[in-house]
Amino acid sequence: MIRIYRALLVAQIQAASQYRVQSILWMLFAVIRPVIFLAAWVAVARSQGGQIGAYDVRDFAAYYICLSLVINLVTSWNAYEFEFEVRMGRFSPKLLRPLHPIHYSVVENVVWKLTTIIPLGIILVFLALTFDARFRTTPAHILLFVPSVVLAAALSFLSSWVLATLAFWTTRVHAITTLWDRAGFIFAGQIAPLALLPGPLQAISLALPFGYVLGVPAEILRGGVSVSTALVLMGGQVFWVVVFYVALQRVWSVGVRQYSAVGA
Amino acid sequence: MMHSRAPVNAVIMPRMTEAVVDVRELRKTFRVSEREEGLGATLRSFVSRHRKDVNAVAGITFRIEAGEVVGFLGPNGAGKTTTLKMLSGLLHPTAGEARVLEYVPWRRENAYLKSMTLLMGNRTQLVWDIPAADSFRVLQEIYRIPEEQFRATVKELTELLELGELVHKPVRNLSLGERMKVEFAAGLIHSPRVAFLDEPTIGLDISMQSRIRRFVAEYNRRNGATILLTSHYMDDVVALCKRVIVIHRGRLLYDGPLADLAERMAPYKIITATLHDGAASSADLDAYGTVVSREEGRVTIRVDRHVAPERTARLVNDLGDRLADISVEDPPIEEVIDRVFTSEQTTVSA
Repeated sequence: MIRIYRALLVAQIQAASQYRVQSILWMLFAVIRPVIFLAAWVAVARSQGGQIGAYDVRDFAAYYICLSLVINLVTSWNAYEFEFEVRMGRFSPKLLRPLHPIHYSVVENVVWKLTTIIPLGIILVFLALTFDARFRTTPAHILLFVPSVVLAAALSFLSSWVLATLAFWTTRVHAITTLWDRAGFIFAGQIAPLALLPGPLQAISLALPFGYVLGVPAEILRGGVSVSTALVLMGGQVFWVVVFYVALQRVWSVGVRQYSAVGA
Repeated sequence: MMHSRAPVNAVIMPRMTEAVVDVRELRKTFRVSEREEGLGATLRSFVSRHRKDVNAVAGITFRIEAGEVVGFLGPNGAGKTTTLKMLSGLLHPTAGEARVLEYVPWRRENAYLKSMTLLMGNRTQLVWDIPAADSFRVLQEIYRIPEEQFRATVKELTELLELGELVHKPVRNLSLGERMKVEFAAGLIHSPRVAFLDEPTIGLDISMQSRIRRFVAEYNRRNGATILLTSHYMDDVVALCKRVIVIHRGRLLYDGPLADLAERMAPYKIITATLHDGAASSADLDAYGTVVSREEGRVTIRVDRHVAPERTARLVNDLGDRLADISVEDPPIEEVIDRVFTSEQTTVSA
């Protein structure tokens, strides 16, 4: 399997290198939204004496910089790609090879992150200096962030595949995935840090999987939660990863029987 | 519309011991929604959809022995591609059984996927943005092909398909014909024992069609691969297939030698006589059969198969020195196939 991954990785890097500018533009697009919210929250905080809840201007800067990094590391576009491939008949060849199609997606995701991480890092350092971001991160937070962001990426990837697999029935899943993404916009910690959401919204964020994808690893990296709280939140991540893993197994085995191989 | 009568002129193939492809009463029914045209119908379809079952494959049975190249014929919508998708494992059937190399295809066991290929003439399986040679390397790892075997296979395919430098150009920069050649190479790189070819020459120019045909024939000869081929180009079928299976509306109409298809389905022969003194002298040829065409001294006459030798002899005798050339042939295969489908449609609607 290592040899297969190495070969896929090489091919995907070669393909990605054909569209370097596009990769950078997508990365910038992913950063723009957190930066807009950062600017908005900084303005609101300043108008209210520099503090909202436990966050001052420098905390907001640190949170949204961490969030931008987490978005880049965990976001997966599988559902959109999957729908396109099913609709255009390009998924069928993958089903007919002795390798589960999910492995191609893993590699595509890894390559996307590898090719954008360095320019993103430069932008985030620039933002940190500009907004004088204050990180409360300790070595323990760094140690916890690594598994937390891996769990978040797994959760994002698996949930994306569960949604994508619905294309076996509907052929088009764009509306469903867009609805999912919009829900994530509210509940994942993008519009505001989870701690600043009104009570019911905060409860929903942590009762549903959304908060565990972005808000939790971003707060752990910023050092915004204690180590014990971080461990509890990571327990939630593990729970949702298991739920979506089991769901994917079930949905895949049923869905693949429904596949009508349109256009192929 | 379903009908239950026995296949027209079907030849029951004897049950032999070792079948590479063994299909029994295979069926596939799709549930499709349909609506009438117009805005009103569109709006109504949001609330209530009318669905109906379409029998794409309505219970077909056949066997293919090792090393055979079989033509799978039928008009558009006959169920050919659906059958190939089931046999390759892409689709689960609604009912019936199939085994290919003793595997149930739709279980998609890795051992089966390593033993077969499905090549579709209008679809790509290569990574669009990188040279095919790099995709070949990925496939080498996926199919776990030992390095020595991989090099030998690539060399053989490069030679047979005259790939040359094509494999080093990004796939998106290749012409349709060039891309089809590298698609063939990618699809066969793991040396499959069974190949399902769906319209492999579609959209290609005459020269490229011919090259692909030569390749398929040579590949079959060298590797003993079993091949089931669909094509709307009868030249493909004539060049490659001794046996054909004809289906229409999901039902098997004929399964037997290509050579017998004309005899069974078109009970006439075509006599073509070329006359020294041109078409003006052909007025009296109606007595020999149905004159189908007259052009520049060449007269084409259709006669019943059983009287063809006698009519030909009479023509030669009666025309004497006026006759420059004469030939007796089966009707073109396209005409035979068209007759099969037309007669089937007539029967169904009767």
